[in-house]
Amino acid sequence: MDAHIRKVYVPMTETGFYILLCLQQEMHGYSIVQKVRDLTDGEILISPGTLYGSLSKMEKDGLIRFIREEEKRKIYEITSLGIEVLQKEKERIARLYRTMQEEQE
Amino acid sequence: MKKQKREFKIFTIAEYEQEQDYLRSQHQKGWKLVHLTFPGIYLFEACEKEDVVYQLDYHQQGLGSQETYVNMFKDCGWEYLFDFFGYSYFRKSAASMQGKEEIFCDEASRLAFIGRVFKGRMVPLLILFFLVIIPQTILQISNPGSDPHRALLYFYLIMVAFYAYVFIRFALQYRTLRNRAD
Repeated sequence: MDAHIRKVYVPMTETGFYILLCLQQEMHGYSIVQKVRDLTDGEILISPGTLYGSLSKMEKDGLIRFIREEEKRKIYEITSLGIEVLQKEKERIARLYRTMQEEQE
Repeated sequence: MKKQKREFKIFTIAEYEQEQDYLRSQHQKGWKLVHLTFPGIYLFEACEKEDVVYQLDYHQQGLGSQETYVNMFKDCGWEYLFDFFGYSYFRKSAASMQGKEEIFCDEASRLAFIGRVFKGRMVPLLILFFLVIIPQTILQISNPGSDPHRALLYFYLIMVAFYAYVFIRFALQYRTLRNRAD
């Protein structure tokens, strides 16, 4: 993971995190929106402009890759670099959560 | 044939929020946007009065030709209208929204949008400003004299004022967004 990736994606936006999380399975844009809505009980609704921007940027940076097009929808999947970045974020969030719990006690 | 009307309106580069509000208020009054012609002639068609949210995205090449891009917006319930100098116009009725919806849902992507507008629209203007407008103005000031010259001088001074206005508006808008993001 080079400095650019680290700077841009660690930490990443909430939207970015959910996109990577979803793309552990191959998926198109709108199914990411639906899945995130379900995962968060409707709390987080990803907007198409944000989604499109994130997907193109992540594809350019090699975190995800375009697989194929189906019914005018582009299907993407996470890459090994994406998995690495996601793992970093998961660890960061886990630490955040642990710290929060400890401070409450 | 439905009743139509035309309105002439100029929004400078940073005023996309004002433009969105303007289009929304027109729709609330029963006029929906159908077309936009250079430099700023808005063509509306009579329709049911409805609260419809208008939104602009910007990509230098325009993205109307990219079916997958437009389709992603359609999937999310946004109707794609047309491209205008790199701006893509979308609308969605407020009644079909879950709370308040916009095409960008975080400040990071809003800043990225402003960044694209800056690169696509402001950079060419800045180049024109520093390579043409400023040297020409200085030339006219240092060469006073006959009336045609004076007319040119006034023309360039007006241009400088106009450019300054556009730059300042853009800078202010950018600062507002940055502050919201911090």
